[in-house]
Amino acid sequence: MTDKDFDLTRRSFLDRVLAATAGAGMAAAAPWAASAAGADPVKTNPVRLGVIGTGDRGRTLIQNIAKTRNCTVVSICDTYAPNVAKARQWVGPPTRIFADHRAMLDAGGIDAVVIATPLNLHARHSFDAFDAGLHVWCEKAMARTIADCGAMVTRSKTANKVLQIGHQRMFHPTYLNALKRARAGEIGSLTQIRASWHRNNAWRRTVPADATDRQINWRLYRDSSAGLMTELATHQLQVGNWFFDAPPTRVIGSGSICFWKDGREVYDHVALIYEYAGGRKLIYTSLLNNARYGCEEQIQGSKGTIEPELGRIYQEVPAKVLALQRMQKDVARGHKRTVPIGGATWFPELPVTTPGESLGWGEYDETMLQFEGFAEAVRAGKPPPGLLRQAYQASVASLLGEQAMDRGEAMTWPTNLVAI
Amino acid sequence: MAIAAQVERFVAMGTRVELHVFGGAFADALGAARRAIERVDDALTIHRPSPTTAVNDDLLAGRSAAIDDPVLIEALIAIQDVHTLTEGLFDPAADRRFGRAGWGDVVVDRGAARISALKPLALDFGGFGKGFALDRAGAVLREAGVASACLSAGESSIAVVGEHPLGGGWPFAIPHPTLGGAVLVEFALIDEALSISTTVGAGTHAPERAAMIRPSDGAIVTAARCAVAVDRSGGRAEALSTALLVAEDDRACRLLARAPTRRFLYDLSQEAAPTVDVARMHAA
Repeated sequence: MTDKDFDLTRRSFLDRVLAATAGAGMAAAAPWAASAAGADPVKTNPVRLGVIGTGDRGRTLIQNIAKTRNCTVVSICDTYAPNVAKARQWVGPPTRIFADHRAMLDAGGIDAVVIATPLNLHARHSFDAFDAGLHVWCEKAMARTIADCGAMVTRSKTANKVLQIGHQRMFHPTYLNALKRARAGEIGSLTQIRASWHRNNAWRRTVPADATDRQINWRLYRDSSAGLMTELATHQLQVGNWFFDAPPTRVIGSGSICFWKDGREVYDHVALIYEYAGGRKLIYTSLLNNARYGCEEQIQGSKGTIEPELGRIYQEVPAKVLALQRMQKDVARGHKRTVPIGGATWFPELPVTTPGESLGWGEYDETMLQFEGFAEAVRAGKPPPGLLRQAYQASVASLLGEQAMDRGEAMTWPTNLVAI
Repeated sequence: MAIAAQVERFVAMGTRVELHVFGGAFADALGAARRAIERVDDALTIHRPSPTTAVNDDLLAGRSAAIDDPVLIEALIAIQDVHTLTEGLFDPAADRRFGRAGWGDVVVDRGAARISALKPLALDFGGFGKGFALDRAGAVLREAGVASACLSAGESSIAVVGEHPLGGGWPFAIPHPTLGGAVLVEFALIDEALSISTTVGAGTHAPERAAMIRPSDGAIVTAARCAVAVDRSGGRAEALSTALLVAEDDRACRLLARAPTRRFLYDLSQEAAPTVDVARMHAA
């Protein structure tokens, strides 16, 4: 793809985001997205990033950052040398390489860090970055404990630095459009969201001779991860909170190591119900031995359903017959006109198995937009409005769900969370 | 003074239904009309357990069946009438899976409220159910004093109550199913029902859509045709449009000749070339 083609793709993507975020209510529902898409960042003096953690996810982020207008990776760091070696191909020769994140912070020359390390290290790496006077972009979920999530928020406020978490759906035009249409009442009153992330693989990586299982498969061990809850569910819990416009009030759940009995410590099968004010519910399942229903959020209202991953909106009652609508209006103004009926507007006379209407897919990676938004926030020294609250509540929800499953009892939403 | 409409929109009979009532306050009547349609849906559907599927289970097993549902009994009686009206071309028992079985093999004992069949078969009321349902909904509205209403079930089944709110007939045009801007026929309805059946156009190639079968030889009708029928009864209009669509030329001619201004058949394979009756064909 040429630079010109890429710019066109980018422009098209941003236009979709701006269209989706325009209108009553959306300014409050997704202020970060409109702000990021409308920034039109200058390319000169890009924000200099140091990436901590260059595993699979870190390397993907580096590639996305390279496509942004206002960010550049100037330093990379990983304790596992092969990860750094693989990352070299995606960065220029001047990029400095480190095996210890403190050394990278001490070396200076960066404006912000990107943290893509195991979950249990997010808090420590964030604290160190704030102490070094740097802004932080951190992978989701925020931290291994609810207390650490709060501490990250507090430390960012104390340091007066931006803290942004990687829930990229908040920058995705399909999700933004879906939210806009839900807020406009197109699917009626939302009472339930069914969300699932189903895969059919062990989630286990091959361990090289020079590494340990806990180092490579950190997602499978409790000291470093809450497994499905923090690595997958957190995205969809954020979507649930966003569409319900509130955090949950309570969660109950059941977790088990049901299929992959291979020494892992985290659940490979979770089922939870998150309750929201007014009796609304988010029903969540995630498992690792059946991929039929994949990843989806079914946002269910009294008038319709939105499935953002599929990019479809379904109406409970089909759209009005336009010809009859026109006839009705004609009569109201005393006008009689022939009513065209049937013909090209014939509706398939079938059970309601309609395919739904497309919400429109974005082709450009929303990860790029979230980094451009982050860079503009760094330049301004002010966090994107509303974004951190979403991430904090989603992270807390995922960890609270883990507690509910571990204890086998309902967990109420904490009352001692840090105010944002 | 503006004439306001009250509208009820819902899904039933596997399609979208709209009931437009003009003049007066008829909210209760609208609700009752909706329930009348849903009642027919519940009785005649074969897409979920219903009195009709219960009967079908028995008929397929070679057993006679008691008909407990009054709506189903009424529908079966109506079917007997339209089967005769259409010279057997409308046949809710015709099914390629069962050879030459058809409505002629069905015995309905009205007095005993029982049904049996000489061969294993199953009933599928198809579009007749929509017209039948609109008839019942129209009757509910008339009884409630409604003088002007337009009822639609999937746009291919229309029924009107009384005159147009501004007086005179309700003017309808049937657009060509595939040629944008072209019109097949226009007419005005008063206290009548309209049914359109076609083998071409939107929705006709949907995978779940049942094929149009000619009962006389069991053949699937694939010719590009569109049939339009107007009648006092929605059920009869549905049966007639289906019959015209599957009819051989001679029988189509006879059916058309009995109501030349109320029945129309178009051969759309050659555009503007009528199948059987030049006089009533409108250029498409």
